[in-house]
Amino acid sequence: METNNGIVKKNRDRIGVILYVVYVLLLAASVLLFVKIAGIQLFFNPNPKIERALRPVSRARSIEPVRGNIIDCEGRLLAMSCPTYQIAMDCTVLREEFAKDTKNGAAREEEWLQKAKALSTELAKVFPEKSADEYWRLIREGRRGGKKYLRIGKPVDRNVYKRICSFPLFNEGKYKGGLITEQQNIRIYPYGKLARRTIGFVRNNRSNVGNTHVGLEGRFDYELHGREGKEWTKYTDAGLVLDNDSTKVRPEDGKDIRTTINIDYQDIAWRALYSEIKEEADLEGACLVLMEASTGAIRSMVNLYRDAGSADFEEVSNLAIGRSMEPGSVFKTVTLMQVLSDGHIKSLDETIPTNHGVIQGVKGVKADDHIRDFERRNSTNMISIIDGFKMSSNYVFGTMAVSNYAKKPMRFIENIHSYKLGEAFDFDLIGLATPTIPSPKDKNRYWSTTDLAVMGYGYGTRETPLHILCFYNAIANKGRMMKPYLVEDVEKDGIIKERRGPALMSTICSQAVADTITRALKAVTEEGTARRLKDARCAVAGKTGTSFGTYADGNYTDEHGRHKYQGTFVGFFPADDPIYSVICTVFSKPTSKQFQGGGIPARAIKSLVNELYNIDPAFRPCLTAAK
Amino acid sequence: MDKTWKIQDIGKWLNNSFRAILKGEFLLRLDVGRYFIHIVYTFFLFAMVIWISLMIESTMNKVERNKAILHELEIVNTQKTFEVVSLSRRSSVNAMLEQMGSKVTEPKNPATVLKK
Repeated sequence: METNNGIVKKNRDRIGVILYVVYVLLLAASVLLFVKIAGIQLFFNPNPKIERALRPVSRARSIEPVRGNIIDCEGRLLAMSCPTYQIAMDCTVLREEFAKDTKNGAAREEEWLQKAKALSTELAKVFPEKSADEYWRLIREGRRGGKKYLRIGKPVDRNVYKRICSFPLFNEGKYKGGLITEQQNIRIYPYGKLARRTIGFVRNNRSNVGNTHVGLEGRFDYELHGREGKEWTKYTDAGLVLDNDSTKVRPEDGKDIRTTINIDYQDIAWRALYSEIKEEADLEGACLVLMEASTGAIRSMVNLYRDAGSADFEEVSNLAIGRSMEPGSVFKTVTLMQVLSDGHIKSLDETIPTNHGVIQGVKGVKADDHIRDFERRNSTNMISIIDGFKMSSNYVFGTMAVSNYAKKPMRFIENIHSYKLGEAFDFDLIGLATPTIPSPKDKNRYWSTTDLAVMGYGYGTRETPLHILCFYNAIANKGRMMKPYLVEDVEKDGIIKERRGPALMSTICSQAVADTITRALKAVTEEGTARRLKDARCAVAGKTGTSFGTYADGNYTDEHGRHKYQGTFVGFFPADDPIYSVICTVFSKPTSKQFQGGGIPARAIKSLVNELYNIDPAFRPCLTAAK
Repeated sequence: MDKTWKIQDIGKWLNNSFRAILKGEFLLRLDVGRYFIHIVYTFFLFAMVIWISLMIESTMNKVERNKAILHELEIVNTQKTFEVVSLSRRSSVNAMLEQMGSKVTEPKNPATVLKK
């Protein structure tokens, strides 16, 4: 439309005006929006609490690897991981809500308490260390006192946990029933106490006990543990989900350890030893180790120790590797091997003068009463080496050590070291004690011929049962000393990743010497101090040994004349073609009773041999079918 | 080379733009209609990204739920394995056999192997 002054004016219809107004309003709103956004971005400082609650948080979550299993030589599980559940209760749930509800609050509170009473009755059935009334009182007082965490009983397995979840009140869940559960993975041992010390454990680093890594679990923790993974999660409306924009490090599960232990043999050995010692109040502990002669694989390792707080024997200390004591007469075989290998005697039938049991040139050593009896019984003043060995004469072996090595004592000491009896060799368990071998070269100690004499019959040195067993195993193995081992291989999903297996430590004597010693050891079990083993299911060759532990004042007896015994039997079977070597040692408290190597240890080994003989495939007779 | 624009052109351009915005002609003057298909496509892409992201979130949620179920089943499996293995201890088997009055005992002699 044209006006009088020539300016063209647009005709605005009604709809156009309305649309224009709407447009302007929206434009204004958008401008406001932009200004607000810019203000928020640049100047707004939100309340940190609200900010934290509203912002979708991405957080790293550690993924625990599955710890590897420990299995026996036949693949049976000895140690595995399984979760347990610690139950606790928040006694204050709904309390405030009931308090605010003026209309029905009291009735609802009463109903809650009634359910708690029913819960107490059920809890007393699962955790009998407290009565239902005690649980009821704890919950009631906890509710009154605002206790948000009431720990109930010890951790339970899944079956019990499921049962507990169905109890009154707890079946209403966390927010209404106050049920709190904490899941934690623990190691479980299907065979209970069997080989527990050998299998071992890994303690939490927070433990106040210094020894956190024990047994195979501890020694091979680096293989069993695996490697933690890491993933990022974020909270969404649907809950916690994996953050798909982030990286993920997969956990690497731990490897399995296949041990040389045969759990059946371990059970048999445990029964054989436990049945012999359980009634002996004066015994402190005992151990029994069964080793495969040709390989050095340990098939069973029983360690029973009477803990200070326990009346019974438990697997709480590895006596077989951790306790070194004077070995006693089992060390006479070491002397015998030396004189045979060095050519000082040619035959076991060689004789030496009895000399009324007094070792010539040695002071301070008591005369050997066995020799005086021998002189009387046989009306002779000569004794053969084999007779001395059978009766375990200190005189004979002290004399052999002194007469052959007094002028060159270092030769005697070096021989002992060459038999690996002077070192803590590499072993699959931590804690193998280092033997003590005195030496003329030790300037802190006075050396005399007496030292040589007592070492000749098993005193003066300190050896662990495992060292002694290794030495006897070498005899069984015709002079080849095998390294004892407990881990056959390291596996992942059944595939062998690292094969360990047998290893030769050294050859300590000739086959002829080994055969001669075997003859002597057979004589001990047939006619000597280990006669108890004569009628075992298969021929056993071995040696008994008894020694006394020393008291703090260095004496072998206390003021009441009591001894601390260490009785040992060590040997191998079958005597002529050895498959296993075995040692059993008992350790007594100060006692007036006698614990000789020919007693409990020999009986336990006989029982073990008899049971093994019936089930071990190596003892099966063959019958060839006629054509 | 001669300067083809002046500083005051910027003010003119801003003034024109503001007026065009007020009149609702800004986008028409820019001739944005030429890019309409691109704008629709971009919008579609944004919508797809949001939708796929929601789908992923939902799948991840399902994964978490299934992971929890698997974990539960693993626990059950471990528990059952433990119970079965515990029963296989030699002395436990002997005790159970005795309890049930079975005549089966430990062998009294080694088995004889037959060879051809």
